[in-house]
Amino acid sequence: MAEIRAEEQTLAVSKTFLIKPKLKPKARTLPQTPESKYWSSFKSTQIPNLVSSISSLSFSPSPPHPFAAAYSASVSLFDGNVSPSSTISSFSDVVSSISFRSDGLLLAASDLSGLVQVFDVKTRTPLRRLRSHTRPVRFVKYPVLDKLHLLSGGDDAVVKFWDVAGESVVLDLMGHKDYVRCGDCSPVSSDLFVTGSYDHTVKVWDVRVEDSRSVLEVNHGKPVEDVIYLPSGGLIATAGGNSVKIWDLIGGGRMVHSMESHNKTVTSICVGRIRKENCGDESMEDRILSVGLDGYMKVFDYGNMKVTHSMRFPAPLMSVGFSPDCRTRVIGTSNGIIFAGRRKGKENVESGGGGNVLGFESISEPERRGLRPTYFRYFHRGQSEKPVEGDYLVMRNKKVKLAEHDKLLKKFRHKDALVSVLNKKSQENVVAVMEELVTRKKLLKCVSNLDTDELGLLLMFLSKNATMPRYSSLLMGLTEKVIEMRAEDIRSSDPLKGHIRNLKRSIEEELRIQHSLQEIQGIISPLLRIAGRR
Amino acid sequence: MMMRGGRSLVSSPPAFSNDAKKLLVCTSNTVSVFSTATGLQITSLEGHTALVTSVVVVPPSSPAAKVLCYCWTASLDGTIRYWDFSVPELMKTIDIRVPIFNMVIPSFLDIPAEDKGKHRDLFAYVFTEDTKETQEKTKALRRQIRKCNLSKSRLVGRLILGETKKPEVLTVSPSGKFFGIRNKCKLHVWKVPDQGSEHAAVRKITLHHTKKITVIAFHPTQRVIAAGDVTGRILTWRGFGNIAFDGNNGVEKQKLINIQEDKPGVRDNDDADSCTTWHWHSAEVNVLSFSSDGAYLYSGGKEGVLVVWQLDTGKKKFLPRIGSPLLYFIDSPDPTLSAISCADNQIHLLKMPSMGILKTISGIKTPCCYPEMCKGLGNGIAFDQTAGLVALRTENYCIQFYSLFDDRGISEVQVCERNHQPGDDVTVIVTAVALSVDGSLMSTSEVKLAEEGIGGLVCLKFWQAGSQNKEFSLSTIVYEPHRDAGISAVTFHPSGNMVVSSSFGGDFKIWRCNNDIIQSDQMHQNFSWTCHAVGSYKKRPMTAAAFSADGSVLAVAAETLITLWNPYKNVLLAVLGETLTPIVNLSFLGKSDNLAAASCGSNPQLSVWSMSKLSLSWSYKLRIEAVASAVDSSSFAALALLPESSNETTFKGRDGVILLYNATNPVPTAIWSVKKAMGGALGFLQVNPSSVEEVDGKTPEVLLAYMNGDHEYVVFDPYCKDAHEVSISQKEGLSALELKGQGGQYGYASIYGELPEFDEKRPETPWVPSFPSERPWETIFSGSSHNLPPLTKLCSAFLESLLEKRTAAVE
Repeated sequence: MAEIRAEEQTLAVSKTFLIKPKLKPKARTLPQTPESKYWSSFKSTQIPNLVSSISSLSFSPSPPHPFAAAYSASVSLFDGNVSPSSTISSFSDVVSSISFRSDGLLLAASDLSGLVQVFDVKTRTPLRRLRSHTRPVRFVKYPVLDKLHLLSGGDDAVVKFWDVAGESVVLDLMGHKDYVRCGDCSPVSSDLFVTGSYDHTVKVWDVRVEDSRSVLEVNHGKPVEDVIYLPSGGLIATAGGNSVKIWDLIGGGRMVHSMESHNKTVTSICVGRIRKENCGDESMEDRILSVGLDGYMKVFDYGNMKVTHSMRFPAPLMSVGFSPDCRTRVIGTSNGIIFAGRRKGKENVESGGGGNVLGFESISEPERRGLRPTYFRYFHRGQSEKPVEGDYLVMRNKKVKLAEHDKLLKKFRHKDALVSVLNKKSQENVVAVMEELVTRKKLLKCVSNLDTDELGLLLMFLSKNATMPRYSSLLMGLTEKVIEMRAEDIRSSDPLKGHIRNLKRSIEEELRIQHSLQEIQGIISPLLRIAGRR
Repeated sequence: MMMRGGRSLVSSPPAFSNDAKKLLVCTSNTVSVFSTATGLQITSLEGHTALVTSVVVVPPSSPAAKVLCYCWTASLDGTIRYWDFSVPELMKTIDIRVPIFNMVIPSFLDIPAEDKGKHRDLFAYVFTEDTKETQEKTKALRRQIRKCNLSKSRLVGRLILGETKKPEVLTVSPSGKFFGIRNKCKLHVWKVPDQGSEHAAVRKITLHHTKKITVIAFHPTQRVIAAGDVTGRILTWRGFGNIAFDGNNGVEKQKLINIQEDKPGVRDNDDADSCTTWHWHSAEVNVLSFSSDGAYLYSGGKEGVLVVWQLDTGKKKFLPRIGSPLLYFIDSPDPTLSAISCADNQIHLLKMPSMGILKTISGIKTPCCYPEMCKGLGNGIAFDQTAGLVALRTENYCIQFYSLFDDRGISEVQVCERNHQPGDDVTVIVTAVALSVDGSLMSTSEVKLAEEGIGGLVCLKFWQAGSQNKEFSLSTIVYEPHRDAGISAVTFHPSGNMVVSSSFGGDFKIWRCNNDIIQSDQMHQNFSWTCHAVGSYKKRPMTAAAFSADGSVLAVAAETLITLWNPYKNVLLAVLGETLTPIVNLSFLGKSDNLAAASCGSNPQLSVWSMSKLSLSWSYKLRIEAVASAVDSSSFAALALLPESSNETTFKGRDGVILLYNATNPVPTAIWSVKKAMGGALGFLQVNPSSVEEVDGKTPEVLLAYMNGDHEYVVFDPYCKDAHEVSISQKEGLSALELKGQGGQYGYASIYGELPEFDEKRPETPWVPSFPSERPWETIFSGSSHNLPPLTKLCSAFLESLLEKRTAAVE
């Protein structure tokens, strides 16, 4: 019986070292973190001409996640691909807020006349008109887990909990002392919601509490412009003034963090999600997107309490929305433009779950035919077999890929190597080969061996690059030597004279720059000295 | 407590054992036995008192005897010894009282056939020196080839086969019928007499060549001899000695052949049929060997390429870029294994037909020689105090990490991505190497020499150690850190996150480490170094730099002055007085507030400055080669070169002394004199209790390592009593303690009692629960059966534990 022995690994005597250009200095900070790469991967499109400020944006929770934008006295619906599909304009006053029901079939909209209307999304007909507010309504919200009720609040400082079907108010929640501007319903409970008001407070309400008093109250310190529940249901984020604050409701309304990186009032916040690849497995992480009048959108990682991305827009921003499938991000400005960002990617990153509930007709995989010697594939079997974990892999030595100049240098054909790399138009490699030739003490020998055409190549390279600061220490010296050594040839050839003229010109240019730099230095240095004395 | 190491593995050819599992290597006074499977040392044969020059393994007389491990060794101390190297045990010593430069034993190569019946004497041919000064003999021809009867333990009287000026290498043919030497342009071949009698006539022929011959080799089966010369030619004589060795009446035959006149290439009347020449090597051929089947010839030389010639066709195959001149090529009894010894103290074990390197037995690399203009850039040796390693630059642009305690190479770090070609002009030089205190970071600087003023480059590189085995990876390169000026010194801050580099261009820079930990793949630390501060003092060249032990003070020598800086704020604190010549070495003395400065030149000086008084405390006029200070104590050691005049008479060739001082006291507490101090280095090592054996029941606090100019080293306890006695006696009688590897007589046996093999087993032992823990009956039987101690042991332990419990209860 033959003994199977593992091939003994032998070491190569010495490695082949390629001619590499000098490393370039790396920036201390990466130009783009993976996160900012993600956020800038939303391909931006503008939806202009929407008359006036975009007061509210809302995404439908059901795929394909169309969204609605409220501006002036109308609401526009946009389909999944950010193209307008229809407009509802049966409003008597400016629309202040809109909200989709959790199944995406109904849309509630409030306007400044104090009316709250419920529309069928498909037919755009108003199904219910809820009138009870005496002053403009500022926000309306469908609870996440409840299809029958609606929450609204307005300038009359009253928060109303509606029974939609009966067009009746279930609860009048009093407590705010100023305009109620915003509110949100808990993602985990159908009974809990928060509202924010211009009296600087955010109140947490529970419909089960009998005397319609707020359960909890936190003070933001500034008029509250927006409030949202974070997906866990235990934290809320409030926006007001220049800051976004995160509060822990379970911990009794303790402030967790205050993000103050906006320069003007933060007008709207929403939850965005990012896919993180952490140690192989993918997970979604939540971020807070905030927009403000300063025209910035900031992405705040509330896990690490860090602003991870910020983006500038050319107008004050009024509203922000992020689709549940993580593919669309819309931002409304005060001058009637919606900046919609759409991202390519898989559809399946649903947050709502939903998906193909009825999809039990999964396609059965076609039965694989066994391989028989009559098949052609039989003779190829096993060749493309992937190694299983635990298999002992015999690695083939990686082949070093040699460039042409590497091969020539290996054969000690120094001049040919120099010429070949000069033909290649990569300055870095040319300099690297020159440096290698210097260490072999062969550079000047090469220069003296070049024929006229090759010398032309070299002079062309030198005239282009001799004044580059990165290479000048080597190339200036070399230029001098080349001209000194090959003066005869240069004099006798016109094209070479042309190269020399170019060289002269670039050097004069460099001299001029140096002169002006020195002048600047002369101006600055006394200033620095004076500054240093203090 | 003393350890030696760093000896040359390539002073003479090694030999394979009969089963090719062991390799016997002459390492100065001992023969070290290495395992060819692991490349680690197994054991060593100790007994010779001078350099061992030859080792000959006794071949097996029958296939069954392959496991026998006997060998003969010859040494300059005038003895031939017979060993069983499996045990290892000395079997026999033959003292012939003359130094032996070389020894071959041809006769046992062809014994087996008729050996059964009668016992024959075993003869060796030895190359000795005639120590008897006789009038008529000129001094020139004192090296003799003599015959030695190993069975009767004596030289065969008066039989001198040949005499040469210099000791030459005796080469024996694989068949054991011939042996030969080279002698300038000639080649002498003797035929070994068939009978085992003492005075049988030994016949000799001479072959001539026009160039100096460097190496010869015999064909295993045919009568073919190959010789390499200094110009790189390889000559092959076929059918040598047909006339002189075969025919009874040589003269007649010679006449007969002279008529034929058909001896192509053979010079004069040399006794050979034909002579062919191959020429590939550009420099002298050092290695020549026929393959065991006689079909191939291996040759190698200074250019570090092993060439395989197909003997019939002359076709060549190469093993290129070994990177160092080849010295010996040894075939093993196993046809798939052979070994080449290189001049950089490495023995490569080759897997044969493919010529891949299986293992490398790595000795300490030899110091590299650099052009004159680059002298004085430091010796490129750094000690890793905690791990007991030394980092030294090598010729092939590497930093070799060598374990001082284990006496073997750990790893090599390629500093410049270049292949080294021996014999080429040196154009890239690694000038400085520095290690952080914990040994995890390294900084190197290198200089690329300019070609006629263009293209010179200075690089500073920072390295970080990988998780294991000192595999360093590059973290930052700084091109031209001080514009075009060379770097004079690189030193790490004690905390490890700061480096100062001083330059001859008149400034020094402090580099700081920013480490950003990338969490994605298992806490991969990525260090990047940036310049934190630049300082200069009156535009003077900065020649040396040192951090104090707590890192709060940075001392930079500006030629003859010492400037003290706050490294964090880059503020000049003080300037210390003046020495006569530029300072080349600065060192803070442990935790004490003293600073030692060594300056060289015409007025060399060792001065100790007090930091508290900011003044000179004491100084000596000594040429200092190296200074080392222990981390904790205030004592320091300095390696001083002795002035040339005192050399001959008092120190017997020793050219340096190690002086151990207490910082406050100008009288040295101990002195040792050493050889080859030029280019030497000193370093204190922290003691790792597991690696050092105890002396008088206590382990020494620190060890001092001294490495001489040839990279042989000794590690000893500077505070040991024996050392004190030695030093005292030496002050009076100057009977210096020898620190040189070759002549030393001090215990080396104690080191190799603990072998790497045993070290590997050590971690396993704690797995065996050999003594009862508190509740042994619960754990004693758990574990896999092969880990459990024998039942007898277990049972007693188990019962004992129960008994103890019981007595406690009774009381």
